[in-house]
Amino acid sequence: MLDHSLRLEPGNVLRIEGEAVAGAPLIVSLHREATKRGIHCYTALDLNGLKEILVAEGSDEQLEFVSPIELRELDAIDASVTIWSEVNTRSFTRADTDRRQRQLNAQRQFAIRRRDRIASGEHRWCGTLSPTEGHAQDADMSLEDYEDFVFRACHVHDDDPVGHWRRVGERLQARAEELGSVRELRIVGEDTDLTVVVEGRIWRAAYGRQNVPDGEVYTSPVETGVNGTIRFGFPAVFGGSEIDDARLELENGRVVAAEAAGGQDYLRSLLQLDEGASGVGEIAFGLNYEIDRFTRNILLDEKIGGTMHMALGMGFEALGGQNRSALHLDLICDLRREGEVYADGELVWRSGEFLHDPQPARPAEHVG
Amino acid sequence: MSDSRHERLADVLVGFCAAVQEGDLVTLESSTLAAPLLRELYRRVLQAGAQPLPRIALEGLTENVLKFGDDDQLDWVNPARVDDIESVDVRIALAAPANTKRLSNVDAARQARFDRSAEPLRNRYLERAAAGELRWVLSAYPTEAAAQDASMSLAEYEDFVFGAAFLDDPDPVARWEQFGERLDRVAEFLGTKKEFRIVADGTDLRLVTEGRNWIPSKGKENFPDGEIFTGPVESSVEGEIRFTYPGVFNAREVVDVRLRFEAGEVVEATAARGEEFLREMIAMDDGARRVGEFAFGMNDAITMFTRNTLYDEKIGGTMHLALGTAYPETGGLNRSALHWDLVCDLRSGSEVHADGELVYSNGQFLNGSG
Repeated sequence: MLDHSLRLEPGNVLRIEGEAVAGAPLIVSLHREATKRGIHCYTALDLNGLKEILVAEGSDEQLEFVSPIELRELDAIDASVTIWSEVNTRSFTRADTDRRQRQLNAQRQFAIRRRDRIASGEHRWCGTLSPTEGHAQDADMSLEDYEDFVFRACHVHDDDPVGHWRRVGERLQARAEELGSVRELRIVGEDTDLTVVVEGRIWRAAYGRQNVPDGEVYTSPVETGVNGTIRFGFPAVFGGSEIDDARLELENGRVVAAEAAGGQDYLRSLLQLDEGASGVGEIAFGLNYEIDRFTRNILLDEKIGGTMHMALGMGFEALGGQNRSALHLDLICDLRREGEVYADGELVWRSGEFLHDPQPARPAEHVG
Repeated sequence: MSDSRHERLADVLVGFCAAVQEGDLVTLESSTLAAPLLRELYRRVLQAGAQPLPRIALEGLTENVLKFGDDDQLDWVNPARVDDIESVDVRIALAAPANTKRLSNVDAARQARFDRSAEPLRNRYLERAAAGELRWVLSAYPTEAAAQDASMSLAEYEDFVFGAAFLDDPDPVARWEQFGERLDRVAEFLGTKKEFRIVADGTDLRLVTEGRNWIPSKGKENFPDGEIFTGPVESSVEGEIRFTYPGVFNAREVVDVRLRFEAGEVVEATAARGEEFLREMIAMDDGARRVGEFAFGMNDAITMFTRNTLYDEKIGGTMHLALGTAYPETGGLNRSALHWDLVCDLRSGSEVHADGELVYSNGQFLNGSG
């Protein structure tokens, strides 16, 4: 994270965010390694159970409170790391949805401010996962197995993890560049036949700069250019609730029919959240083949090697996306068995893999 | 896991000590070990209509900087913490160590440099506190490490800590208010005196407090509390004193400290163990060999030494001197990077004379003086 994702100079200021109890081992290690590199590193930590109290008991004003200190803080630091490590991933499942949403919306101010600063090159950010029993439980694994799984996906046990991620960057950037010349994709799989117009949109490679682990290429499709049906075999976990085996029908980029084996009402309520919620904000291919199973964590799931995912709601402005929504619901379609992808009529993907390597492109762009 | 005493302690800290008001910004500062109490504090700050701002520390972060930081990093003051000090209305800080000796082997010069970098922050919050812009309270959450220092089991130590805070009382706040009134009376009495003489085993010390303020410490800035302190006239301290309890400073311990003063300055310092460290500390700067504080411990629920100054200096029936910096509100003029409290037990065979009159004997003020 320090040498590949953040690449800071001595004297830079780095803030580590996370949950103090479950994240402690990684937080303390990251702080130590940053300190050894001459970075002014400090922590801004949450404690499990506090936000739950706020959502359950806080007044409207307290729910919507945005700390002016923290907003000023964001402007003064060069970089931040978010460590996701939940003690209990379902602690908000029974909370009042509206109150939880108001509290999250208030926090979005930080996310937006940070996004703007990242976009202007004033800030670097990276998010990662620190394995906990809670996440392992969601993945139907022991903590030990889950740790192996996560760290393998991060390639931290490789002789040269930084070299690995640099090479991934070169490969994925070449792939993104190649996809950039495609006008229309057709995705065919079990109960799935979807055409997606991506002409004129920018594809971006994600190779460990902002997420660790990483491994996907993504864009925002043309808003009116998504047609057909798609079945998402993996459950989607959103706001502590699950949507299982969702099937969507789209016409001119809008969802016109939505079914799910579990959580159908919830899915439909999300689609009605606002105007953009039934539109498509993202289309992407997961290309980290160390991630070979679904674990109920979107950071990992959306990168499962051999899958594609589509997000309903908010698109990426920087990639040409125009859909706007408070929603960004990632839904994952497994293309490993029967999947085929056609680019402008040509078969480019079968059974979970692109059929040929991308054309060698320029070396990975080391953007700030 | 839930202990109703956490709820009572949170009640007292938020309602009485810090007197949190609607709209206040309140930092809650402690380590993850204090999580059960932090959650109760968080809840009560919300109930008071204020905004809780958790500042959660992790064991090991300070050690990282002390071990691996360069001078620039040792000197660095986090602007976000400066902003806290400038912006918040209340600070509630809880000591909750996992290991009180974690920093014992850190290079003393690096530790001193690191401590100095925090001085402006401390001075600034004390300044805002003195101006009435900021309220703060320092308390502690019982941990295994603190229990170990006190040579107790955690359960015994919890009883000790919560007992010292009068949390077993049906109405702890009323008890603290009552106790505060008593401390006010004793402080007023002490303020009428000019000169004190303390006589105990190995101790015959004279000092002048004329013109200085005696301040009753009643549970507002330390909790639990219970002492009355002043800053003696700097040049007036004469004679010798033997401290009953080990002096603990920066995770180091000095046993059986004996000091001899002439004209306010330490001229002889010996100890059964840790004498070299004692001498180093006294040589730290000019003010380190003078007395910055003279005080009586008045909390009778604290009866034993537990290697934690927050409690030790308040043991009922003791007095303490601090070498080093004085609290400005006492009128004390001594300034130093050091403030080291050393405690002398006066509970048996001891006397205190004020202006020639016996006012205190065997750990108690006599009739008419509180």
